[in-house]
Amino acid sequence: MPTFQPGLVHTPLTPFTHEHRIDLAWLGKIIDFHIANAADSLALPMHVGESVSLSDGEKREVIAFAIKQAEGRLPVIAHVSDAGSEIAAALARHAQEAGAAAIVTTTPYYWTPPPAMLLEHFFRIGAAAPRLPFFIYYTPEEMPGTKITAELCLKLIEQLPNFAGVVDLSLDWQFTIELMTYAPRARRDFQLLSGTEHMVSARAIGATGLFSPLAGVAPKLVRRLYDLCRKDALFEAREAQEEVAALRHSIKPGGVASLKAAMREMGRDCGLPRPPLQPLDETGIEKLAAALRTMTAIRAERRGW
Amino acid sequence: MQNKFRGVMQSPVTPLKDDYSLDLATFERVLDFHVRTGAPAISWPHHKGESLNLTIAERKLFAEAAVSVVAGRVPVTIHVSALAVEDTMELARHAETIGADGILAITPYFWTPTREAIHDYFVHLCTSTDLPVLSYNSPSYLAGVEITGELMARLIGRLPNFIGVKEASFNSEKFLEISRIALGLRPDFALLTGVEFLLPSVPLGGVGSYSAAGSICPNLCAELFDTCMAGEWARARPLQYKMTRLWHLFRDQYPSSLKGGMAVMGRPVGPTRPPLPTATPERQAYIQKELEDLGILDTEPHGW
Repeated sequence: MPTFQPGLVHTPLTPFTHEHRIDLAWLGKIIDFHIANAADSLALPMHVGESVSLSDGEKREVIAFAIKQAEGRLPVIAHVSDAGSEIAAALARHAQEAGAAAIVTTTPYYWTPPPAMLLEHFFRIGAAAPRLPFFIYYTPEEMPGTKITAELCLKLIEQLPNFAGVVDLSLDWQFTIELMTYAPRARRDFQLLSGTEHMVSARAIGATGLFSPLAGVAPKLVRRLYDLCRKDALFEAREAQEEVAALRHSIKPGGVASLKAAMREMGRDCGLPRPPLQPLDETGIEKLAAALRTMTAIRAERRGW
Repeated sequence: MQNKFRGVMQSPVTPLKDDYSLDLATFERVLDFHVRTGAPAISWPHHKGESLNLTIAERKLFAEAAVSVVAGRVPVTIHVSALAVEDTMELARHAETIGADGILAITPYFWTPTREAIHDYFVHLCTSTDLPVLSYNSPSYLAGVEITGELMARLIGRLPNFIGVKEASFNSEKFLEISRIALGLRPDFALLTGVEFLLPSVPLGGVGSYSAAGSICPNLCAELFDTCMAGEWARARPLQYKMTRLWHLFRDQYPSSLKGGMAVMGRPVGPTRPPLPTATPERQAYIQKELEDLGILDTEPHGW
């Protein structure tokens, strides 16, 4: 299988109407924005795209729609996580048929399976889309019960020819250095991708890609950070890293609601989150807007679509 | 002004005789070995020096030995963390009396203190001594007890001798936050990482680490540091990966495997005090094979 390098991956939000239905035309506008603003790939619907609040049918629809909308302008990575292995595997099959460039999946929702079951979960999903590179999305802060280890990844490399890498949100040096010490010895083109914009340390450790939830808010800043990192200009990247970290710090506590509020502040309204998530209240919006106004890098970003 | 606590600083193990009593003569050889093989600073007794398994009297005795053997060739800091804060204060006073260059202290053990309690603890410690104080942040070992960026800012603002941190969160976001705040307030603040995780920390402002590996592979330590500081990341990566394989070898039954590895390298330092195990002959044979595979036996000094 030729190596697919996702590069800088934007992770679009999912826009909902007032009746909380997905608005596909609006999603098309969002996708076009990301393509026009230097994304190398798209991944959706990720957690920031409220994947967990979408029905199975909606997820299939979003994946198929995004691939069609992208029209081959860039690769689309399908997020195919679920609690049940077979439900996720069926979604992976759908993604392959729809023309996704790769699939990404996280640890099962709610359950905290022992390592052998976790391995089987990933195997079933990966094996359901054998033509696609398969990435694990490791997000222990959101899903603290289940731990992914380098040992588990090495076992999966043995079992699954299309296991291509890990998208890491643990930010844990012990895990990621261990992973990059051993995994590329077992599979030469194994990839580490950073799952957040903390790219400098990740790149130092060997990461080659970045899943960026903030790229919709600050596409220029994120691109600058990513490009410097890919050139191994890591000392030079520190300033951009601190600017992105400040942005992340403002948005992270409110999660998707903050991200959608920040998009609206940037003149790119993506609507409100779907229940059970609540939108930011007026105080929260004003606090966020005030924080954004203090950030030089955000002031340098273009407003609107 | 550049902080003098930088580079891959060595924290020696504590040599013991077969009856587990302190082996002063071998400790002196360990110290001298580190200085001769390029350690930019010495710090004793870290956890790998079995600090918590030594009596306060033993810690004072070896602290004096460390200062007198190193004899000003490089800075010596004394790790004063103890279960009882009273003991920490006593060790801090003693370190100052014997002429140490600084002290290092972790957040209090066991009690999961509040942020205010951690603040008060460091204020108490720093105002009780004129020595530079390095803090030690290890939330993963201490049930989430940590020095956050905000707390770091308060301590730096109040305490002129609060000059650095051994940061052992091993997390990009936490490290960057502490770096941003601490270096913003005190540009020469010594931002150090526990273990030799130089690759992810140096580009974010890190200037060194406390090493477990220097007793085995001082050359690798120096090369990793030099390549990172020079921004030669493509050269630094394989060195860091090699260091990781060593770290995995030694963190198992830490620090007994480290002591076992020193025996393999021709620098025997005796057993490890219970409840920690001592490396068995089988374990030592395994360590020998791993060190051979890594090429350490060919590239690093053997014997004293």
